[in-house]
Amino acid sequence: MARRAEFSAQTLSVLAALCAEPREWRHGYGIARETGLKSGTLYPILIRLADRGLVEARWEEGQPAGRPRRHLYRLTPEGLASAGAAPADTPAQVRAGASRQAGRRVAVRGVRWAD
Amino acid sequence: MGGLTRALAGLLRYTARLLPPGRRQWAEAAGAEAGEVAAGWPRLRWLAGGLWLVAREAKMMRKVGYWLGAGAVAAGAAWVVWLSWRTSPAADPQAVTDRVRVLVGAAALVVLPWVGRRRGWFGPAGSSITARLVRVAGCAAVCGLGVAVVRMDSHLGLGPHSPGPFSLLREIIALVLVGAALAARAAGKARWPDADPSAQWFLAAIAGLLVFFAVPLQALAIVYAAGVLAVTSLRSPVANASLAAGAITGLAVSLAAGLATYELASSSDRYVGLLFLSVVTAVFLLAALAGVAAARLLPGTGDPEELRMARGRQGLLAGSVAGAVCGLLLTNLFVVAVVMMVIGPLAGAGGGAIGGLIAADHPRRSRPARSRAAGLFARF
Repeated sequence: MARRAEFSAQTLSVLAALCAEPREWRHGYGIARETGLKSGTLYPILIRLADRGLVEARWEEGQPAGRPRRHLYRLTPEGLASAGAAPADTPAQVRAGASRQAGRRVAVRGVRWAD
Repeated sequence: MGGLTRALAGLLRYTARLLPPGRRQWAEAAGAEAGEVAAGWPRLRWLAGGLWLVAREAKMMRKVGYWLGAGAVAAGAAWVVWLSWRTSPAADPQAVTDRVRVLVGAAALVVLPWVGRRRGWFGPAGSSITARLVRVAGCAAVCGLGVAVVRMDSHLGLGPHSPGPFSLLREIIALVLVGAALAARAAGKARWPDADPSAQWFLAAIAGLLVFFAVPLQALAIVYAAGVLAVTSLRSPVANASLAAGAITGLAVSLAAGLATYELASSSDRYVGLLFLSVVTAVFLLAALAGVAAARLLPGTGDPEELRMARGRQGLLAGSVAGAVCGLLLTNLFVVAVVMMVIGPLAGAGGGAIGGLIAADHPRRSRPARSRAAGLFARF
């Protein structure tokens, strides 16, 4: 069923960051550095994306030396489809626009969600 | 700086436990990755963001605000009780009346949520900010009735508008009526479990009317306390938009009427009747507008006839809320306007129902969706 999905500019920037290396697991601080988002903005976005089944999350396996285990994220096939559906220049455009129009809604229209 | 960072990290670890299990890992993730962030302000900001995440996910700001408001209402109720004891000498018969009224109002605010907690008639509070704001403000206004009555009696003494000295007989009659109604309801339910509930409501309405005639102010305080709790409970049939439309309309009418009364009634009592008629008309007309807004703001698909009825019902509820808010606030300002606590909701219900039905018969035409931003189109 086709329906309209709306993502904020910040959400699109997170999707773009995760889309850059879709098979790799990314950690929150890495995404925050890439997108310029603060933790109080980034984690609620990741939570909403995970709730909608666009992002999957897991804890790092094993206990690394000298630092706590990281929480890791990557796009699900549905998330990959949604993020990849936008034109190729979208992430850069969104990243550039994110600081200018923080909070404004960017509509991604006509996205067909995987059933 | 190091101590502050450690304190924030500890606070984040501790507060993460407040989140439900499905959400806890996200706050723990923010805490775990704080070590990656450069020491100093950047790490502090990262941890503060984690705390913000906890506050947001645990809906703490709403809960803290609500409980602060509820605490303020409880303190206000305690203050009203103390005021009623302090201002009038015990020998004054009016003091006894005030004390009973104030105690009944305060007891209603305490007992009703406790009585209704299982069925959910009066609690818990709805999750929206509108419901919580209206609940706290409404309970404060019920407490305000006590202040208004006590202050009027302490300043004016027994006057032409005073409801008269305390009558133990009336109080006993009201108490017996309430007890008999509750007992009859329980016995009827046990004897005829499949009886039509409308018969029970009819009997309850008759008992309520008799109690109202025996002790009008106490009955009104209980009805309003129950009404405030019922329309703002989780199971309330009043939609959020209808509640907001009704409350805002009632507030606007009561403030306008209050200002007009100060202006006109200070010069002469000649215009009191005209003023009263104007206020009732204003309640009716503006409640109709609130009804239109409530009906239009009700989203819905499905059977058109059911939707039409639902919109009309929301209009009626929004209008009743507007009238009740107006009556309650006007009585807080001028105790002699107590009659508006009865007429206000009736006029509001009439106006709201008409507005709701008009809006239901002329629904909004849907507009084509328009993108206001980047207009990114993706096709599969």
